[in-house]
Amino acid sequence: MLSAQDNEMITRTGPGTPMGEYLRRFWMPALLSEEIAEPDSPPVRVKILNEELIAFRDTNGDVGIIDNFCPHRRASLFFGRNEECGLRCVYHGWKFDTKGDCVDMPSEPAESNFKDKVKIKAYPAEDWGGYIWAYMGPAESMPELPEVGWAMVPESHRKVSRRLQENNFVQGIEGGIDSSHISFLHFGLPPVIRDDPAKKAQTLSNTDTAPHFIVKNTDYGFVYGANREAENDSYYWRLTPFMLPFFTVIPGGSGNPDERTYSGHGWVPADDENCWMFTYSWNASRPLNEGEGHGASFLEKEPRTMRATMNKDNDYGIDREVQRTKTFTGIEAISVQDSGIQESMGPICDRTKEHLGTSDSAVIAMRRMYLQGCRDLLEGKEPFVPQKGSAYRVRSVADVMDRSVTFEETTEKVAVGAA
Amino acid sequence: MLTKEQNELIQMTGPGTKMGDVMRRYWTPALLSWELPEPDCSPVRVKLLGEELIAFKDTDGKIGLVDNYCPHRRASLFFGRNEECGLRCVYHGWKFDVDGNCVDMPSEPAESNFKDKVKVTAYPCLDMGGVVWTYMGPPEKQPQPPMFEWTQVAETHRSVTKVLQESNWSQALEGGIDSIHASWLHNNDLSDKVKLESRSPSSSIEVELTDYGYNYGSVRPLSQDEGNFVRAYHYIMPYTQIRPNQVRSESPSISGHMWVPMDNENCMVFNWTYTLGQAPMTEKQKTRSEGVDGFYKWVDATKGFRSILNMDNDYGIDREVQRTKTFTGIEGATNLQDRAIQESMGFLYDRTKEHLATTDRAIIMARQLLVQAARTVEDGGTPPGVAPTYYGIRAIEKVLPSDVRWQDALHDEIFEGEGYSPVVS
Repeated sequence: MLSAQDNEMITRTGPGTPMGEYLRRFWMPALLSEEIAEPDSPPVRVKILNEELIAFRDTNGDVGIIDNFCPHRRASLFFGRNEECGLRCVYHGWKFDTKGDCVDMPSEPAESNFKDKVKIKAYPAEDWGGYIWAYMGPAESMPELPEVGWAMVPESHRKVSRRLQENNFVQGIEGGIDSSHISFLHFGLPPVIRDDPAKKAQTLSNTDTAPHFIVKNTDYGFVYGANREAENDSYYWRLTPFMLPFFTVIPGGSGNPDERTYSGHGWVPADDENCWMFTYSWNASRPLNEGEGHGASFLEKEPRTMRATMNKDNDYGIDREVQRTKTFTGIEAISVQDSGIQESMGPICDRTKEHLGTSDSAVIAMRRMYLQGCRDLLEGKEPFVPQKGSAYRVRSVADVMDRSVTFEETTEKVAVGAA
Repeated sequence: MLTKEQNELIQMTGPGTKMGDVMRRYWTPALLSWELPEPDCSPVRVKLLGEELIAFKDTDGKIGLVDNYCPHRRASLFFGRNEECGLRCVYHGWKFDVDGNCVDMPSEPAESNFKDKVKVTAYPCLDMGGVVWTYMGPPEKQPQPPMFEWTQVAETHRSVTKVLQESNWSQALEGGIDSIHASWLHNNDLSDKVKLESRSPSSSIEVELTDYGYNYGSVRPLSQDEGNFVRAYHYIMPYTQIRPNQVRSESPSISGHMWVPMDNENCMVFNWTYTLGQAPMTEKQKTRSEGVDGFYKWVDATKGFRSILNMDNDYGIDREVQRTKTFTGIEGATNLQDRAIQESMGFLYDRTKEHLATTDRAIIMARQLLVQAARTVEDGGTPPGVAPTYYGIRAIEKVLPSDVRWQDALHDEIFEGEGYSPVVS
């Protein structure tokens, strides 16, 4: 449970809010590189941290992320002409480069120097790992780009996507670091299957539905483990790294850890009641096959809004007959099960009314980290932000191990090690 | 005209508001019985008095009405699994029975007793008269069941429907108890000069206070020979109206509405009709009120019972029809004209700007009763209209001689029983 004040603190991310300022000390994924694939391609609307922005790739291939509103009379630069190394407002022809300088002002007399006095807000932007990242914080606090797994492999080895989720970003993350729900939301069984011995429906995650949770702070955030009882005196360990400010790697796969395909999500605030779920999958050892990667990357979406076609307006396509006889939810895609349940809490979950159990330890650890970051800023201190990109070289664990293996030993398997 | 404070007092019904506390002292219509057709059927979203709730019928046929939000991490129980005598949240498997007890918590260790400490808000329900009713107030104040006559007749003699109205509940109530507007708003045949309402558009309203609300009559003078056309209605606190339909019907009946607050800007209108006497409702009556070719041709039960003609399409107003045939140019079915005009006042009707006239007497009285009820409840008392004095009362209409008081002439029919009268002086 959080107080109303603490809930407000971690969920509001506009300019000047404690959480907003904290998040502005990290690189933010803003959109996919492929959305502005070509030089002079159409500009794209980007709303992150409650700021309306426009992303474009100029004639030289440089990426700009600038204010949506032209500083002249506040027309949207979405309608702008992206040409000759700049984005030109279609209202009066003012033109801006990727750094935010006004490079042409044809509506003013040639002798005017007004052009040199006007700038548009522009954020440093990098094309990295299939995403365009923006840095929206103080220049002196800028960390290195995070060396996340999917950015360290060739393009053919990864699959990335983004989609709109209609809830505050924190409840997205809380679903992402909550290993407990997979035993129910995703792989729970209707009684007709559960109680039928002929169906042998038990899996590693639903044999023991009450795993023991352990959390350990790290130089990228924390890693948490859930061990479920498995056969022959072993545990089924699932370890999830939580990389600040909001990235996870989902435990999954089998075989040699260096050859697995890993996936995860990061939840970037759009505004306080919407977020972007960025999804990434990668394999360090080989190119991904056609269709390989996290299911969220293959969902059918409304192209303009990037909202899944299965959404709250159609109750996520819930089929009550399927729910009775085949799956726990009756909602088809795993990723829609997640967004459905997270959106169902309302745009901003009222955490004054919740009841957390032992299975929510990672959720609690994440909130503590956020609140600490906010409080540090309020006291005028710089919060903890991983400065080294190499801190982000981690992956997940999903393995059956002997019960003698300690949590400390399992967590060593998360680190990939900086090459 | 009301002050801003008085207006808000009447309109706001969420938890902790004064009118909300009044409303929570009555049995509240929550949904139609057929929305929960069988044990373990799909759960249904219900919004009442500013609270988001989920209704379900468990394996034993018991009805539960619980908080929409699972107490664990606030996921919606709408997606829940209704099975094995309880509703199970699909997020982490927590399961609740109709009384709100947590009966299973499989995500916590077996030795944990957290389950015994967690409850979900649950309100008692009863299934009566084709409606599932709930009681959301203090348990020790729970009144006797809502045994209106219409809830007691056989199903064959009754029909019940509901429709969403996109306005505050109180302006819907005021439209309902305003008998006068029928001569104008509902004039669906401009050429018909014989219709009783049309012949005498300026009628008078007479209100008799009772211990459940009031009994009121509209008196429309016809010719000297014919006398007066009198329609005697009831207003039962806080949101029920009963009206007669006997003079012009081959099958005399009584109808009514309940305008139940969902939140401050929406209410659910429950409509009911039952026939008097031995004969069941005719096929025509049933179809008109309940059938897919009747009521549900106009109201989409799969989309929150919203009218198909609604504010988004200007209620289908046809200006040519308005010029030549009907007063509004809006279809007459399902009280669409009423919803159109009441919603047109805005979600929250601004009573600081109105100008009431003599024919608005019933409206003024209803407001006074509501404001008084808020004071009564605040002082720890019981508001009017809590059962059982309204049991068995009827709405009656007749053409009476001009020199006869309807209050005397119709008394026994209205109150059904000699010597009994809830009228207060």
